[in-house]
Amino acid sequence: MKKRRILSLVTAACLAFSLTSCGSTSDDAAADSGDASEDGGTAVITLGMIGPLTGSLAVYGTHNQRGVELAIEEINAAGGVTLSDGTYQLAADIRDDQGDTTECVNAMNALISDGIQLVIGSATSGCTSAITSIANSEGVVLITPSGTADSLTTSMGYVFRTCFRDSFQGELAAQYAADQGYTRVGIVYCSADTYSSGLRDAFSAACAEKGIEVVAEESVATMTEVDYTNQFNQMVSAGAELVFTPFYYDVMGPYLIPQARSVGFDGVLLGADGVDNTETTIPDGADLSAYNNVMFVNHYSTDLATSDVSLSFIESYEAKYGESPNNFDALAYDAVYVLVSAMEDAGAADAASVQASLADTSKVYEVSTGTFSFDDTGTPIKSGVLMGYQYDEATDSVQKISIETLSVD
Amino acid sequence: MITFIQFLITGLRLGSVYALIALGYTMVYGIIKLINFAHGDFIMVGGYTLFFTIPLLMGMGLPGWLAVIPAIVICACVGVLVELLAYRPVRRTGNSLTCLITAIAMSFVLENLAQAIPAIGPDPRVPYTLFADTISVGGVSISHATIITIAVSAVIMVALYLFTQKARIGCAMRCVSEDKSASTLMGINVNHTILITFAIGAGLAAVAALMYVSQYPRVYTTMGATLGIYAFVAAVLGGIGSLPGAMLGGLLIGIVQSGANTYISSSMSDTFVYLILIVVLMLRPAGILGKNVGEKV
Amino acid sequence: MNAKETKLRYLVNFIAVAALFAAAVALGLTGGDTMKLRITPSIWQCGYLIVMAASLNLVLGFLGQLSLGHCGFMAVGAYAAALISLAFQRAGVYDQKSGPAFILVLLVSFLAAGVLAAVLGLLVGIPALRLKGDYLAIITLGFGMIIVNIINNLPFCGQQGLGQGSASSALYATGLGFSNDEKMRYLWLVALVVILCVAAMFLFVRSKYGRAIRAIRDNEIAASASGINVNYYKVLTFTISAFFAGITGALYACCNGALTTTSFAFTNGSILNSVFIVVMVVVGGMGSLTGSVIAAVVMFLLNYTIKNGAWVAALPVIVQNVFAYPMLVYSIALIIVILFRPKGIMGSREFALCDIPRWPARIRAHFAGAGAARAAKKEVSYHG
Repeated sequence: MKKRRILSLVTAACLAFSLTSCGSTSDDAAADSGDASEDGGTAVITLGMIGPLTGSLAVYGTHNQRGVELAIEEINAAGGVTLSDGTYQLAADIRDDQGDTTECVNAMNALISDGIQLVIGSATSGCTSAITSIANSEGVVLITPSGTADSLTTSMGYVFRTCFRDSFQGELAAQYAADQGYTRVGIVYCSADTYSSGLRDAFSAACAEKGIEVVAEESVATMTEVDYTNQFNQMVSAGAELVFTPFYYDVMGPYLIPQARSVGFDGVLLGADGVDNTETTIPDGADLSAYNNVMFVNHYSTDLATSDVSLSFIESYEAKYGESPNNFDALAYDAVYVLVSAMEDAGAADAASVQASLADTSKVYEVSTGTFSFDDTGTPIKSGVLMGYQYDEATDSVQKISIETLSVD
Repeated sequence: MITFIQFLITGLRLGSVYALIALGYTMVYGIIKLINFAHGDFIMVGGYTLFFTIPLLMGMGLPGWLAVIPAIVICACVGVLVELLAYRPVRRTGNSLTCLITAIAMSFVLENLAQAIPAIGPDPRVPYTLFADTISVGGVSISHATIITIAVSAVIMVALYLFTQKARIGCAMRCVSEDKSASTLMGINVNHTILITFAIGAGLAAVAALMYVSQYPRVYTTMGATLGIYAFVAAVLGGIGSLPGAMLGGLLIGIVQSGANTYISSSMSDTFVYLILIVVLMLRPAGILGKNVGEKV
Repeated sequence: MNAKETKLRYLVNFIAVAALFAAAVALGLTGGDTMKLRITPSIWQCGYLIVMAASLNLVLGFLGQLSLGHCGFMAVGAYAAALISLAFQRAGVYDQKSGPAFILVLLVSFLAAGVLAAVLGLLVGIPALRLKGDYLAIITLGFGMIIVNIINNLPFCGQQGLGQGSASSALYATGLGFSNDEKMRYLWLVALVVILCVAAMFLFVRSKYGRAIRAIRDNEIAASASGINVNYYKVLTFTISAFFAGITGALYACCNGALTTTSFAFTNGSILNSVFIVVMVVVGGMGSLTGSVIAAVVMFLLNYTIKNGAWVAALPVIVQNVFAYPMLVYSIALIIVILFRPKGIMGSREFALCDIPRWPARIRAHFAGAGAARAAKKEVSYHG
């Protein structure tokens, strides 16, 4: 009997090992090349990265990781980082926080204790808010690719980001509503999520300022809620002409948009940067005309872009991973380039010099999500673009369209 | 009025899925008295199988819903594997609490294993939408998928009832649930019977997965956790072990959730679902249709 | 065991605990990056996991009732302590995180966190404990979910409140949230709280109350027939357990100033959730407080070193790839522990320093008896 027990365990363990090991080939290759460069005598600068690589938020962290790895690969292939005392290769020390604040704090402390001075992370505002004070008190540069909460950085310190601030996106969205002459708008958001509720706060404040009436406001319990029909039913009966929906693309495509249309809401659905990539989550067999009249505020548009950094990013991303990048990829990719640019300007890779270089608000960064400089809180000053989806009858597909460049007056 | 009808339809839409999942839950519980926390994750396994097989079948010119057959096969295999690798050895050495904890651990294993498999990974996938057409009733539209789900649940409920009452192996299952050692004496192979129970329960999860993804077309590795808990609540609410109870509990929970969404507070609907559960358990500790079995001294 | 030996055992344990406390205080006075960045935060986290596991053990191990919503009480404690400390700060009671006024605020917020959680435990326990087994499990899970859901929707503490935003920064700047340096300075606090809580729970289970609840666990009907008021003792234990979970919450708030409700949710996939606290109790041994302490420390160290330890890099690549999914490792490890030691590491025994000399004899006896026990088990393999 004992034998059978052991046998079953061994089988289970083998299964687990074999299944997980098939996914590891690309990681092995990356690790090997890192070792090789060290053997060759080249010095290495290690960037820290923290993000939810496993658990329910893994999709954000793994995309951050892809962006960081792609950027590092490109920079190393192009010869590395040139500082005042020589050329360095880049490497990344990537830690998993599982979307939990305690794990995030542990990872941050451990990275610092391992001598890492430049950290990219974390993916969510909740986790990032737990480590900003460590970055400031320990003097380590922290650059968050997707922590959008206003409060993450309120003065110039060691914390920077490459994404929008919630209030800015909310204002842009309200600006669009005002420009188009909407007077009655609704909001459907998630009260338990920092991103969604932060955007909702900013949008409704901006609406109040611009004299737009919020006629109905409904919330859902989680960002992965499956049913929105009741919420949109309320929107229809309140007579909202436009509904602000700060959700991510993974629920917009399969759930929110078709359900909103199914209860008869024909107005504009206006989202924020999380809505980008909805075209990848439209179910086959769905009624594609539902995806008309969906707009969202975004960082950049390949159509409106004046530089070709965005285009080359998308090209190399697709070549490496075989699918189109999302904002989590792009913003993490940019974080690496921003750090490298700051390092090269400072001529050093220690936290104090990099911070001083980043704190120079006159410096302009040209990265894949647009051209920007930091404001006095370490948040990029970018203009947003308004994009949307349109059903194209000729090709029977949903097209992403760029509408206009937005800025706050 | 439209609001009211819409709330009912949404409630049925959610509830029918919960009911279908709860049927599998309650059947396994009825036989081996184990809350199979991994049941929700069987749905995830079924969902991913459907994601991969529906386009395959449609490419061959077959109707997409036939993909439920490979899904049933794969889910049943996973169910049998879980029983053989974890539950059976633990049942031999442990007590009901260790079995429950093994079930929770198994649920974590399946979720994380799925994330670790490169073809699945953490990115959510959107499967093909089947039964997407709608019919209009009095100004509101109801999707074919909702109607089919309710019909399928009813058919499965009746079939399961007949199976456990009439079929030989069904009778063996009931016997095992009453008294394991006595059934051994009656010549029933207990382990064999439990294995079949798991295979059927997991197969039901595959059917539930088909209906779930046709209404809510998105699969991701942690989808089983929340779904499983709702289905479990539904099964307990209706009276765990009772097939009509599971159906009733599922529909009730869907309607309560939808009603709380519409009329009270949409972000607090979870609270109302659990409040209903608590109130029902206070009044009828064995659930709405459950039998209250007295304790033998 | 005679009275003299009992006295000796107490003395030895007291000296050991006092030495531990002195060590913690001394560590807090040292310096160095490893101490500040790795050891101190680890001690804090071990601290709250220990109290949490021990408090659940009261209900699960000693009373024999499964509660899956224990983290809900911890959440209440965490938010209560954080809000109270902020209120005191705004009222001007203290402005720096030191001095007697701050210590007093700490005391008040810890106690208030515990009391609030205990009141809630009482309110939940009175109806819930009428149920048993699987039903109790689902109903406590439900209560845990309700607590998290309500906290989420309270404007002053949900995602818009302490989870992020100005309140979170305020918690770090002026409230309970301790920075790395402050965690070091207040290392004595966590040591003191852990020692007091575990000692109090130890005394509770050794008292006549403890004997009564163990009688209920072993046979409820027999206990009630011998005049034990079953419902009273059940609710009492549940309330006391909730009290300590509330204290744990206050410790958590000190350690982790950014509070988000997802940390306390049932489905949260990290080491701190209701499921993994249950796991700690089961692995440590149901009915063994020292077992819970050991299991909490072991699980913490495993979790911490898998993610942040250097030793993982020395393992073969294939093992590293599996370790990249920590929850997978823990779940498989848990199943293995349950298979080979279904009663947990300690069983229902307590660890005592005085017993160490007796270990060799016990181990010999264990192996001698194991064969006989296995033979006996074969006979009744379908039972239990």
